[in-house]
Amino acid sequence: MENILSVENLTKRFTSGDRELTVLDNITFNLRKGSSLAVVGPSGSGKTTLLGLCAGLDVPTEGSVTLAGIKLNALDEDDRAFMRNKHVGFIFQNFQLLPTLTAEENVLIPLELRGERPDYQLARELLGRVGLGDRSSHYPSQLSGGEQQRVAMARAFITRPEILFADEPTGNLDESTAETVTELLFDLNREAGTTLVLVTHNMELASFTERILELRGGHLVKDTAHIPG
Amino acid sequence: MDYIIKLKRKKKSFWKDGFVWRMAWRDARHNMYRLFLFVSSVIIGIAALVSINSFNINLQANIDRQAKELLGADFVISASEEFQEELAVAMDSAGGYQASEVTMASMARFMTSTPGTRLIRLVAMEGDFPFYGVVETTPGDALSRMKQGQTAMLDQNLASRYDVSSDDSLAVGQLTFTIAGEVDQIPNGGGVQATFTPSIYIDMDWLDSTGLVQYGSRVTYKRYFAFDSDEEASAAFEKLRPIARKYGYSVDDVQERKEDLGRAFENLYRFFSLLAFVALILGSIGVASSIHIYVREKRNTVAVLRCIGASGWQAFYIFLIQSVFLGVIGSLIGVFIGLFLQYSLPLMLAEFIPLDLEIGVAWQAIFNGLVMGIVISILFSLLPLLSIRFIPPLSVLRTHSGGPKRRSKSTITVATLIVFFPFLVATYQTRDWLMGLSFFGGLITAFLVLTALAFVLMWAVRTYFPSRAGFILRQSLANLFRPNNQTHVLMVVIGLGVFLIATLQIVQNSLLNQVEFVGQDNQSNTILFDIQREQKDGVVDLTEENELPVNQLVPIVTSRLSKVKGRTIAQIQEDTTDNIRNWSLTREYRVTYRDSLHVSEKLLEGGVQHISGDSIFVTISEGMQDNLEVGVGDSLVFDVQGVPFQVYIAGVRDVEWQKDPPNFIFVFPNGVLEEAPQFYVLATRVDDDAVANKYQRELVTAFPNVSLIDIRLILETIDGFFNKVKFIIQFMALFSIITGLIVLAGAVLNSRHARLKENVLLRTIGASGKQIVGLTLLEYVYLGMLAGLTGILLSLVSSWVLARYFFEIVFRPDVPALIITWVAVIILTVIVGWWNTRQVVNESPLTVLRREG
Repeated sequence: MENILSVENLTKRFTSGDRELTVLDNITFNLRKGSSLAVVGPSGSGKTTLLGLCAGLDVPTEGSVTLAGIKLNALDEDDRAFMRNKHVGFIFQNFQLLPTLTAEENVLIPLELRGERPDYQLARELLGRVGLGDRSSHYPSQLSGGEQQRVAMARAFITRPEILFADEPTGNLDESTAETVTELLFDLNREAGTTLVLVTHNMELASFTERILELRGGHLVKDTAHIPG
Repeated sequence: MDYIIKLKRKKKSFWKDGFVWRMAWRDARHNMYRLFLFVSSVIIGIAALVSINSFNINLQANIDRQAKELLGADFVISASEEFQEELAVAMDSAGGYQASEVTMASMARFMTSTPGTRLIRLVAMEGDFPFYGVVETTPGDALSRMKQGQTAMLDQNLASRYDVSSDDSLAVGQLTFTIAGEVDQIPNGGGVQATFTPSIYIDMDWLDSTGLVQYGSRVTYKRYFAFDSDEEASAAFEKLRPIARKYGYSVDDVQERKEDLGRAFENLYRFFSLLAFVALILGSIGVASSIHIYVREKRNTVAVLRCIGASGWQAFYIFLIQSVFLGVIGSLIGVFIGLFLQYSLPLMLAEFIPLDLEIGVAWQAIFNGLVMGIVISILFSLLPLLSIRFIPPLSVLRTHSGGPKRRSKSTITVATLIVFFPFLVATYQTRDWLMGLSFFGGLITAFLVLTALAFVLMWAVRTYFPSRAGFILRQSLANLFRPNNQTHVLMVVIGLGVFLIATLQIVQNSLLNQVEFVGQDNQSNTILFDIQREQKDGVVDLTEENELPVNQLVPIVTSRLSKVKGRTIAQIQEDTTDNIRNWSLTREYRVTYRDSLHVSEKLLEGGVQHISGDSIFVTISEGMQDNLEVGVGDSLVFDVQGVPFQVYIAGVRDVEWQKDPPNFIFVFPNGVLEEAPQFYVLATRVDDDAVANKYQRELVTAFPNVSLIDIRLILETIDGFFNKVKFIIQFMALFSIITGLIVLAGAVLNSRHARLKENVLLRTIGASGKQIVGLTLLEYVYLGMLAGLTGILLSLVSSWVLARYFFEIVFRPDVPALIITWVAVIILTVIVGWWNTRQVVNESPLTVLRREG
């Protein structure tokens, strides 16, 4: 099966004062289209940095990332934004909804950024799918954390992205809400046939994916394939 | 695998990018309170600009329209002596319509319900003046009544001061006049002059009978001319002018009058332009400050947009559209307020403007205001907005992923334009690039000094604040250094307003103190002049009968220069290579004689006036030495009532003119002028109002030609004058303070989140509500204190410079008034700060935690 994501010899260093800090060191892996992957590891192991690089939010010091057949190193910031809009969906730990927009408007942004007319019908359907059909005109501040994350999921799926990056999607939620959100996330992923890259501390959440990469101190220490639990 | 290394991304113009427009609207609709600050800044700047520019345009149009009415004639010739025969003959044969006027200072006694005596300007009129325009009087027939009998008209401010009602009377010299009415407006009169020396008008037939015109009386003779056509007027003007100029008389035609008035108003215009400029720059600071804070707040929104596919320019245009839109709204509101305000300026300035101001809509000012509003909205938003393009999408994942620090060509271009903007605006406002440059330089200096002062104060507070002070004292101080607090900007902007107000306060106080100072230590505060030789003993007796001291009794001789350094006045006038001012050559000099220096004098060079052999040595004051370009040893010839006196300059004196008057430009030695026609000036001191009134009444009755200057009255007039000017400056300084408070409100609103977190943390670890309130209030107290102190410190320096070098008076700050200003600024700061913070302070930690998630 075709790879949606190829990471080759990926290294990221930061300079802090006179000191150079290697956050990721020579990481290489491929990810098949439609599969799911969890990146786990302790705090400071480089998980979020890896996610940022894979999604084109940042550029590597060395190595390359190829996403949906596009080599990200060759693109400038605006081209990478365009690429993300075409192929990538995001879910963040702290939801990152725009506070001045209603739930429906938040969901519609990626579509509108493509230059398409706002499809309110589709937005409402998606909100209905995540159980928020009656909250479409609510602002983020009027929604609970779990509801905000569900709006974020609807936003991520509206463009039917080929790959979805999720950074600790249940990190800010209580246990029962986290469970609902996890279930919904994997259901939507299955329905849309989207590739999922999940960054988490939570091994239970990671166990829902087909493959787990474990990072420690910026090194890839374990790459385990398993049957999702 | 085949890699695609380039994407075919269609670049859309933002005009056609529906997302950008929709997003601009969606984002703005819930940020109105933040953008309100932006709009307010534009409104303030544009309202000030439009009101002032509109007023200036109207004023200019009125001067153009009413030029002939202002003079009342085609031209006028004025002399400080009776016209020389050559000119008198020429004038009589010049034809046209002619009218004469004689003006002089005199005492007047008011026999009204509020009786009193005071120094006035007596105007004796003959002929049908004015030829253009009308004398507006109350009642309307006052002028014709004045011409028919022994009646007088008087300026409105005199009438109101002495509660004049119809058929009251007043005495001038030896005559008593029935009051015919008040003069509301008269061509060639009014303005500031009317404030200082109000006039009484009589018919010329009565002048001689008043007995006021005597030797030494300072009388001005005027002849007004009007002709049926401009050509005739011009021909007569060209014929008479050279003769008049030869004798040092002044000749004013409509054009010159217009130019004189234009010059007189030039200072007012420049002053207003400066105020408009300052208001606009403050508005711009408000715009820059509010958009800067706004962009910081929007950082996360932009990062999310970038993350899900927005380009840097799309993000930029979303907020640019908001700025332009709000700029247009702010400009429109500003224009409306400005147009409304311009109607209030003539009311404030009515007493200084000898015109019937007709205020209309000045389209040019409106257009300029709109354009300027949009320009400042865009220009001062651009720098923070351009940085939006560089906000990294990664900051969605990491808040500390580096700020938008990149310098692009566009940011450098905008920064350059911003630096030159004040210069361009100042040049446009003054229509003079040199003046623009000086405004610009002044502004930069003021801001640099204020900024430096603000930094020094902040540093000093941080360094020397007692480390053992209580928690609330220390924590509230530390809050001033919170990110987004804009403490320095606030100190500079509020400081600027305080600086303007405090400078004016100190200068006014120093000037008033100067006059009071003259009255201290038994120095004279009342001067009697025009005392004739035969009246001298009688006036001294009257003074002593009233138990008043005769501090000085000084003889005065009137004279004119006929030669300077061997050259006649005519020769010097013809020589265009020197810079000697004509007025210093042709004026009348009132000289005295004595052999010593007066208490107000210091010898700068040479010796005291004396006689050596046959030669007479006089001393000259420092300023006139410069004007006449003469030095020690140079010769002068004075014409004293037709007798020439050759003298040499013995020395140069530094004269403190305000100290123990009268003081003199030329002082002769004893033994030269004793036999020349002369009059006397007597200086005394009166402390008691009742004695002063009695003394003045007796003096005017016994010696009607003797005039008296009561320095306390001058003090009152200066105070009144200052209060009017002060009002205008305070009005403008208020713009500055309001802008500062807008910036403060913006800073407070935008640091709301940080404040919430701090308060929740403090509450959680046990701080009481009272402590939180104390902490917050104290922070604003510190801010108000520091901002006020910045302005006051700078005002002390600037007013010292003004007092020392411009007004040449003793620097005397009014400490209680400064403290009141300081406290007022602190209170205002606390009120605005508290108003915007109260909700944050009053909320329970749990509510906040729930809402913040």
